[in-house]
Amino acid sequence: MKFGKRLKQQIEETFPTWRDQFLCYKELKKLIKLISSALPIAAEPTKYGKAEAEFVYMLNNKIDKFNTFYMEQEEDFIIRHKELQQRIKRVMDKWSSNGSRTEYNDEMAKIRKDVVDFHGEMVLLENYSNINFTGLAKILKKYDKRTGGLLRLPFIQKVLKQPFFTTDLVSNLVKECENTIDEVLFPIEEDKEETKEQKGAIMVAREPVKGIFRNTVAALLTMEEIRRVSSTKDHFSLPPLNLSHSHLIHSFQLNSPIPIL
Amino acid sequence: MPSSFLALTSFKDKYSTSPSSFQVSSGREVMENSASLQESSLAPSNGTLGNSSLSPSIVTDHMCASALPHVQHSHNPAFISQSSRDLASLPPLDASFSQSTASLIHTQGNKDVSWSLDRLQMFLDLPENTPAPNQLVESSTGVLASEDHNKKTNWQEWADDLINVVDPDWSKILDNTNVLNPRVEVPKPSGDISKQQPQFHQNQLVPHGEFSSHAYPSSTAPPTKPRMRWTPELHEAFLEAVNQLGGSERATPKGILKLMNVEGLTIYHVKSHLQKYRTARYMPETSEGTSEKRITSIEEMKSIDLKTSIGITEALRLQVEVQKQLHEQLEIQRNLQLRIEEQGRYLQMMFEKQKKVEDEKGGVPSSASDDLLAPLPGSKHPPCNNGKSDSEALEQDHSRTGIGPGNAGTNEDKSSSGVSTKLKMLETESTVHDESGFSVSKRARTEK
Repeated sequence: MKFGKRLKQQIEETFPTWRDQFLCYKELKKLIKLISSALPIAAEPTKYGKAEAEFVYMLNNKIDKFNTFYMEQEEDFIIRHKELQQRIKRVMDKWSSNGSRTEYNDEMAKIRKDVVDFHGEMVLLENYSNINFTGLAKILKKYDKRTGGLLRLPFIQKVLKQPFFTTDLVSNLVKECENTIDEVLFPIEEDKEETKEQKGAIMVAREPVKGIFRNTVAALLTMEEIRRVSSTKDHFSLPPLNLSHSHLIHSFQLNSPIPIL
Repeated sequence: MPSSFLALTSFKDKYSTSPSSFQVSSGREVMENSASLQESSLAPSNGTLGNSSLSPSIVTDHMCASALPHVQHSHNPAFISQSSRDLASLPPLDASFSQSTASLIHTQGNKDVSWSLDRLQMFLDLPENTPAPNQLVESSTGVLASEDHNKKTNWQEWADDLINVVDPDWSKILDNTNVLNPRVEVPKPSGDISKQQPQFHQNQLVPHGEFSSHAYPSSTAPPTKPRMRWTPELHEAFLEAVNQLGGSERATPKGILKLMNVEGLTIYHVKSHLQKYRTARYMPETSEGTSEKRITSIEEMKSIDLKTSIGITEALRLQVEVQKQLHEQLEIQRNLQLRIEEQGRYLQMMFEKQKKVEDEKGGVPSSASDDLLAPLPGSKHPPCNNGKSDSEALEQDHSRTGIGPGNAGTNEDKSSSGVSTKLKMLETESTVHDESGFSVSKRARTEK
């Protein structure tokens, strides 16, 4: 149940428009329970076959949903990325040569915020992809375990190739974004740990509507939790996560409505 | 296919009512329709239709599974319920709108599952006389492919019909909401809904020509996946076409489509993409007005707490840092997942092959198993970070030694134990891999 709880938390933390797009893990678990209690595989193979088909059908539907959502977002990101690049270029051309330092700074400030948020959204999409994949993998494992089926391996191979899991494009956009951020938008500076904590607290407390920062923190912590040592570890399980500045990130939860313990 | 037309006409009827009622009622109704398609007792002539739609689209190793196309065999009822669900789950453009639809969406989602649970229960109660219990899980893929082709044309017509019905209503409604709320939180396409329909039915798009290197991987087999996946290159071509035609406001989808001249691209794709593009352009300009408010709120933040005040830039830098870390972890996790599954698959394959060899038995098992075991997991992905190349080499060594015992033995016992040894090897391998910050000791401790 731990993953289910984590997933639920993640869904609660995420953008409102994304909430419906996640895997309905709990429901699928119920389905498995139903199947396993009603049909021992040996007893009635045809019925079992139908039940499995039903299960697969549901999973396929979910996957379709993920794909659709993911590709929509991806398309948006492609467009926005291009637009941001052009914006930056425009601002630089327009104001870097002339005087008017303040206007330049203002415009750059806006762009900076937009780029950072954009970066954040893309990363959160990657997180969406990954958490749904993890959920699928777990559900399949449960299915095989409960019903004695052999669904997991072939099915997961299929999932690996799905658009929603082939995140290379978004990953590239993220990297490009990071390059832009590092080279163009921010001077490099090192911050001390204590001030970072305070900053984090303020950010979480007063973040404007989108809540990207809070979301990101939540995602990191959820990942850490999910990958803690589990009782059902096998050679398909992921090892525990070693988060740098984990303590720091935990502190960012200060004003979060839903503490992730 | 009478029942499919039944679904179509009722769908249309429902559609002429207001959007919110459409979302709930037609969704439910459509599901009922598709449920009736499935249940033989209710739909008289739909023996084959009902059952074929149940066939899952599992890609086995025997299929030439090149990327996506084979995979998503969309079933008829799936189409109906799918598209209705998608229509229903469209992100709202307005705050108040979102309130009502959010609850609708949520109930819709749950309804899916409970509906399916109900159906399953019906299944379990049904007597054995359900028609033609043909291949459900095993080997149905070949059958499915051919069936799908036949169905495709029908769905094309259905989709086209639907679009003509859909188009006027939605664009009108959405234009209104668009005017009311230009500042879109998450830029979503306004006119995209109607275009969602055909995207399910279009053939898999593979933009040819100079885009194919980055475009969605093309397959030789006829594509079944209808969704269009945009790439930066494709978008560039789009932009070029738009600029040639005088800008986003003046350019028409038809003109753009012609100029782009990309095989497989349809006007619907261009239309929806244009919508998105316009929204994206419109947003930053309006944000120039609203961003002032945002900046002042951050200024307020500063003035309120002087001791621990942070500059905007610094706050942003912190945000980026956290985001970067999440990204990095996600990449690592993903690669790990890929590799784990790859190894699992390889192992399974080998196990099966070995079994086959032993079953066919008699003669030369040792040389045969040598052949089988010789090809190493060359299909392993080259590691992302350079730091992993060492672990990769290590892994290869382990695999070789793992295969060693398998080679030596020829009788059943040894090979089966060889497999389990390999399994153990994999476990330790993945432990060793975790050099990029994972705590190896923890994992070793918890190992069974």
